[in-house]
Amino acid sequence: MKNYTFNGLIGGVLITLLLAVAIVGLFWTPYDPMKLSFTARLSAPSAQHWLGTDEFGRDVLSRIIVGARASVWIGALTVSLAAIAGTIIGLVSGYARGWVDAVIMAVNNALLAFPGILLALGLLAVFGANQYGIIFALGIAYTPSMARVVRGAVLSLREREFIEASKIMGNSEIFTMLRHILPNCLAPITVLSTSMFGWAILSESALSFLGLGVPPPAPTWGNMLAAGRPFIEQAVWLGLFPGLCIALTLLGINLLGDALRDKLDPRMRGLK
Amino acid sequence: MTQERLLSVRDLSLVVAQRGVEVVKNVSFDIEPGEIFGIVGESGSGKSLATRAIIALLPPAIKVTGGQVTFKGRDILTMREAGLRELRGAEIGLVFQEPMTSLNPSMTIGRQLEEGLTLHTNMPAPTRRERILTMLQRVGIRDPQGALSAYPHEFSGGMRQRIMLASVMLLKPALLIADEPTTALDAVIQRDVMELMVELTKAEGTAVLLISHDLPMVARYTSRIVVMEKGSLVEQGTTEQILEKPQHPYTRKLLSSLPIRGEVRAIDTVSAPMISARNIVVDYPGRKSLFNKATAKRALHGVSVDIHAGEVVALVGGSGSGKTTLGRTIAGLVSQSSGEVLFQGRERSANWRDYRLNCQMVFQDPYSSLDPRMTILSLVEEALRLVPDIDRAARKRRACETLEEVGLGAEYALRYPHELSGGQRQRVAIARAIARRPKFLIADEPVSALDVTVRAQVLTLFSDLQKRYGFSCLFISHDLGVVEQVADRVIVMQDGRIIEQGDRNTIFDKPKQAYTRRLLSAIPALDLNKTGGVKLKWRLEA
Repeated sequence: MKNYTFNGLIGGVLITLLLAVAIVGLFWTPYDPMKLSFTARLSAPSAQHWLGTDEFGRDVLSRIIVGARASVWIGALTVSLAAIAGTIIGLVSGYARGWVDAVIMAVNNALLAFPGILLALGLLAVFGANQYGIIFALGIAYTPSMARVVRGAVLSLREREFIEASKIMGNSEIFTMLRHILPNCLAPITVLSTSMFGWAILSESALSFLGLGVPPPAPTWGNMLAAGRPFIEQAVWLGLFPGLCIALTLLGINLLGDALRDKLDPRMRGLK
Repeated sequence: MTQERLLSVRDLSLVVAQRGVEVVKNVSFDIEPGEIFGIVGESGSGKSLATRAIIALLPPAIKVTGGQVTFKGRDILTMREAGLRELRGAEIGLVFQEPMTSLNPSMTIGRQLEEGLTLHTNMPAPTRRERILTMLQRVGIRDPQGALSAYPHEFSGGMRQRIMLASVMLLKPALLIADEPTTALDAVIQRDVMELMVELTKAEGTAVLLISHDLPMVARYTSRIVVMEKGSLVEQGTTEQILEKPQHPYTRKLLSSLPIRGEVRAIDTVSAPMISARNIVVDYPGRKSLFNKATAKRALHGVSVDIHAGEVVALVGGSGSGKTTLGRTIAGLVSQSSGEVLFQGRERSANWRDYRLNCQMVFQDPYSSLDPRMTILSLVEEALRLVPDIDRAARKRRACETLEEVGLGAEYALRYPHELSGGQRQRVAIARAIARRPKFLIADEPVSALDVTVRAQVLTLFSDLQKRYGFSCLFISHDLGVVEQVADRVIVMQDGRIIEQGDRNTIFDKPKQAYTRRLLSAIPALDLNKTGGVKLKWRLEA
């Protein structure tokens, strides 16, 4: 048990740090993240530029600080969208069963059959390549997996006797769903949401790489990573630091997610 | 004398390695060749762990801290793995509780039975096959040839347990360990399997170590018994001694927890019944596929039941008899294909809300009938949510009172179900059901998942509450002992039909149907004696 809280603490520290950086980025950065400087192109990390500069001489640290906001924003909104939509679809589908379930799952499976990134590409063509376009496209692309997981949880829960007990008490279906089924689905939802957060940040970078992400010069960790690729041999810091940021964020989110899941579950609380 | 002993356990102690909790404390007993020896105890008594130590199959978290286990003069606890493997199966056989999971579902019966023979003997294949066929025949498998290429799921629970027994007895072990071998089976099948086990082991001269929580069952077949409580051995002796003159208070408590026939109560059966189910037919739709039309399976063939005010009616029968379906239909969880359910003389759908308020249910499994994410108090409060004319404060007060009534004080109110024992959870389930003061309660196997002493307490609680509030009750159970204690009237079901019904004493003393007799033959009639012991009489031995 001690281990868990320790992990949760690390996760909490990482995420607090991330949020702090994102907020700080609103007001202050060491340099103007957009300012070009041809005298300082591709300079290695030094006292002036802690994390070095990129191919246009822009300060990498400043860009990472500003990019944090975009990446967190995209990750958080995408996951919220997918989690909310997926949970509703999964709940309805698993609880109603019958033809409702059959129709929803048929559509869902068809969407799942597309690679997520391909689906997102198609949707981006519709929504347009900007921050909110990405959020919608990725959110929709991730919804089917969430729906599927929630539906599975609901299917096994609805056979439990406490659901029947709720019926015997005369509770309406909606009440039963919200009061008894949804809270018991929280564990898989949290776990999946935390990993989705990671996918979202990575997918954003992949989309940026294909030129459909947040348009330059605005920095996100993803497009910084993509932009650093051609210079990987001369200037490893261009890819290294944004990549490190993504990795640390994912680590933080996952640790925090696990800790939250255990915290939210009364069964785990008893095991002290 | 010591030389002849088959198995000798001396001062065996086991602890949970991480937490240092002693789960088995200084347990000693001996088993002679060919005898049937019983270990009785409730869950948590350490009876299963103690026997796992005998074959060195303890879970990794459990460590032996002391004692000796000697089998045929060999010390098992210091033996190497290779030696143990030769012993297991060949010398010591094991039959588990759950016939559903102890056979490998993806292997044919034939291959599973052959496994042991190839491992421990060097018989040629045709001889092996012959031995297996003979054995299958002996355990009562109708088509042994066909069974060889069949998979476990094609057999019922009782048949699987027979096959399990066959696979163990094929190797003619010197000792058979049977851990709750019949707990998962119906009463009638339970008896058949036990008889078969005794017959087979007697023929081969195999000693049996029978582990069970069911004292009468153990008493019936064993010559000597040890009683375990919380890891300690509290009493041992011949079966007769222990039953008739129990010394230890715990043994007395176990014996006094056995259900005893309740008194006859006067029930008003003249006025209109509280609940009246008429000609209920229930069909379960079959599986539809693209080319096959669904064929419905009829679970109830026109069943009628009347339950009067204040009456406890027991519904008994084996699995598949339709008793649970009938209960769930009356509860409104299953909809009938035809027939009607009248509540206080009116079709229940005329005032469904009123029916819901007055008809409540207690489920079998207290582990799954309570929402794990809600506190005890909120679970009971929820039952009052739809009751008219009761505000939030009154609701809370009533919930607390009800919890108090079922013996759970204020300190339990904010706990979660997983923090309670099985018996306490079932108390919560009962509190939830009676909080509304219903006129009618359906209890589906409410005490089957509980230990003997806890079962007795919950039954007493149930009777007390029933007396106080006078609700009618449909009590569904396969355990006739329990039924004998609580029921005013008994209905026996088989294959979706009612085959016999009448007041309790008539059914128990003068059953008419052969099936009822067979059900009854599985439970003992008890006479309490002055020394705190009991005399077990088996009904209708012939």
